[in-house]
Amino acid sequence: MSSSLHCLIPASMLALSLSAGAAPLNEPLEPLPPVPQQDPLRVELGRQLFNEPRLSINNTLSCASCHQLQNGGADNRAFSIGFNGQPVPINTPSVFNASLNFRQFWNGRTDTLESQVHEVVKSPSEMGSNWAHVVEVLSADPKYRRAFADAYPDGVTVNTVQNALASYERTLLSSNSRFDQYLLGDTDILTTEEKYGYQRFKDYGCIACHQGVNIGGNMFQKLGVMGDYFKDRGHPVESDLGRYLVTRDDEDRNVFKVPSLRNVAVTAPYFHDASASTLEEAVDVMFKYQLGRIPSVEDKTLIVQFLKTLTGEWEGKPL
Amino acid sequence: MKMSRRRSLALLGAVALLLASTLLFLYLKSNSNQTSTYAESRDLIGRIKQLNAQWETEILKARITTNRNYDPLVAPLTEMTQLWERFDTMESNHGRNDSPTWRTSHDAVLAAIQEKTRLVEQFKSHNAVLRNSLAFLPTAEDDIQEQLARLVDGDKLQLQNIATDTYDLLLSSLEFSQVTSDEKAADILLGLNKMAVNKLRLPEPFHSPIDILSNHISLIMREQPVVNRLLENIEAIPVAERLDDITRLLNIDQQQADAVDQRYHFYLLVLSVLLVLLLVFLAVHLMRSFTIINRVNKALKTANDDLELRVEERTQELKDTQSELLDSARQAGMAEIATNVLHNVGNVLNSVNTSADLVSRKLRASKTQGLGKAMQLINEHPGDLGEFLTQDAKGKLLPGYLNQLVEAIALEQQGMTDELAQLSKSVDHIKDIVATQQSYAGANSLMEPLHISELLEDALRMNAGALNRHHVTVVKEYGEVPQVMGDKHRLLLILINLISNAKYAMSDLSSRPRQMTLGVKIIDGTTLQVSVKDDGEGIAAENMTRIFAHGFTTRKEGHGFGLHSCALAAIEMNGHLTAHSDGPGKGAQFTLQIPLHRLPEEA
Repeated sequence: MSSSLHCLIPASMLALSLSAGAAPLNEPLEPLPPVPQQDPLRVELGRQLFNEPRLSINNTLSCASCHQLQNGGADNRAFSIGFNGQPVPINTPSVFNASLNFRQFWNGRTDTLESQVHEVVKSPSEMGSNWAHVVEVLSADPKYRRAFADAYPDGVTVNTVQNALASYERTLLSSNSRFDQYLLGDTDILTTEEKYGYQRFKDYGCIACHQGVNIGGNMFQKLGVMGDYFKDRGHPVESDLGRYLVTRDDEDRNVFKVPSLRNVAVTAPYFHDASASTLEEAVDVMFKYQLGRIPSVEDKTLIVQFLKTLTGEWEGKPL
Repeated sequence: MKMSRRRSLALLGAVALLLASTLLFLYLKSNSNQTSTYAESRDLIGRIKQLNAQWETEILKARITTNRNYDPLVAPLTEMTQLWERFDTMESNHGRNDSPTWRTSHDAVLAAIQEKTRLVEQFKSHNAVLRNSLAFLPTAEDDIQEQLARLVDGDKLQLQNIATDTYDLLLSSLEFSQVTSDEKAADILLGLNKMAVNKLRLPEPFHSPIDILSNHISLIMREQPVVNRLLENIEAIPVAERLDDITRLLNIDQQQADAVDQRYHFYLLVLSVLLVLLLVFLAVHLMRSFTIINRVNKALKTANDDLELRVEERTQELKDTQSELLDSARQAGMAEIATNVLHNVGNVLNSVNTSADLVSRKLRASKTQGLGKAMQLINEHPGDLGEFLTQDAKGKLLPGYLNQLVEAIALEQQGMTDELAQLSKSVDHIKDIVATQQSYAGANSLMEPLHISELLEDALRMNAGALNRHHVTVVKEYGEVPQVMGDKHRLLLILINLISNAKYAMSDLSSRPRQMTLGVKIIDGTTLQVSVKDDGEGIAAENMTRIFAHGFTTRKEGHGFGLHSCALAAIEMNGHLTAHSDGPGKGAQFTLQIPLHRLPEEA
């Protein structure tokens, strides 16, 4: 109780000092939080591991191979290429702001970034490795041995490798998007069209699922609420089953984690099957299968304009 | 005795160790900070419960409010998970999670939370689309009504009916969302059918809005019961009850722990009382021991004092004895010297006697009687002395005879004079001996100029008789030594003793000539060294350190005073006396070293 009070006071003070006359807006969308306080040694170690190809069994893939920070935290392929040269079955989501998602993966099969790392490393289509091997390889490298010994009392272990990577990923927040500045009270930063776009986003009900701090990423939703997306698309594959693969509950057929819309303008192609290559296409699909409504052409343009304000910055540069 | 002491010591140590470990054990058992951990555990469970309640509140708010942010439905679970992890760690640290009851309760909580999470996720999905469609319904209806109003040509009544039907459908849908009943569902189905019929009656542009409205209403019909069912199910999940179970278990456990705690407290008290008793016993024992020690100490002190007194007495007695001994030794020494002197004097008297005898024998056989006979011949011829001396045969021989006689008498006289000189020399010698004895007999000592070689000659002379008697050859190795300042008496005492000792040492020597070597030299210009060396019986190694001790002697008639007094005398002159021997039968050398004092005018 008291700790939440302690948190509240600096947060409100920060907000006050930032707005300086313009109070933050009370909206269903929220600006990104500041980067959490973590051991810088662990973060730096995580950064090295993130770019470490020896995490894959044949030393070909690092995390950064598919989660390219200069490419919006993903690659621009429909399906990334796994360690064995074969494409993986599902589109790669962005690593940016992943720590704010309530679950990881399209089907939400893990709760934490640590277990996400675990899944990817041992995945037979992604890195194809195993933890005993990873720990052995990293332990054999004196540079890593020293860095781990400095950062963790336990040295190189499965847990510390995962924790270091997760620590680094928690720092990957694409802050300072124009829309976040707007939310923080700088209402002049958006053009009239963009503000209208936001209004349409809310009016049409996009906000029903894409809301919260990550503008999505906090619930599951069936793809095809107002129509059978998969029947219309054809060629059903296993990954289309979504959360059903985790729960084996018929209710969860074609249910996916609602993806975050942050940086959506730079993370094409869209959807788990990468079926939409432009924002316009993606917005069309959403209107048809999720909202069951037909927007005007200009409303759609306005919404797309709004979506482009969600692109944040990394290392001071826009993504 | 020693063994039993060691055993009792080991026993004492073991008992002490046992007591200490018991005390520590009881202390640890009774002093665990369980109360605070129980409080903390209960606090954690309480906070989880609070979050659970907050979660439910947020769910209800999501059901009715227009705020579409679902983050508040995620955050409580995250926090609950973290709190539960802390709780679980704490429990496993205390080993509470070992018991099956605990395990069951824990698993029940986790299962309840997991099930609730699953239902909440479903609720979120269904509620989001349901709320969206409900919010959209008025707009969708407006889209149709607006278009209907713009429709000018056509059956006014029919249009009116269609508008009413559409409105009724909207109303029933909204009512359905409030009161979900089969009756309302039937109303909606009826309305939807009407809409489908109306759609056919209306022109093409109406089809799309009507389809959209129908789709959304169908969704509401489908989703509303699902959402309601989910909410009921969520409400039915007994997370709070399971948490209460945990709290109850905690309480029971704490009571048990408290009971155990109290028992150990009691044990601790009993042990403490025992220890205090033991301590008192030991204190009494110690005090008694202390008294005994004091008494013994006092007795010991008295005995010690007595002993000291006795030692003092003894020491005094010893001192007296020693001075008596010293006196007697001194007298003995003087007697020895006197004997020596008398012996020497006797020796010289022999030669005096011999000389006197010789002189009297020479006088008796003197040629002076021949002079009388010659004078008788002369007296017989008083008148014709001249004739007698020239004519008479006998008379002619007389002058020659007289001449010979004169020669013989002169020779005789010369011999007697010589003998008398020898006699007087002997008498002088005796005087010397006596004078020497007189000058050394006294204890007075003073530094006086002296020639060390003369001193050695004196010492030799005083032993001359014995040395002659024992046929000792004296070898003199005198270095160039100037006249020095010295204590004549002490030096002579030492030298006489050393020479005497050397002579005695060689008295049993028969296989080779007896030779004594006297040496004098100056070392480094500061030390005068006099040595007396013999080749007699030598000194055994074990006696080497004792020969200077008072009372040590190897001679039957010795009293062990000689060398001791010599060493003392050497020390009194700031010098020292040392002995060296290569072993029994290999002779010995005594060396006196004293500081060299040159005569001031000669230096």
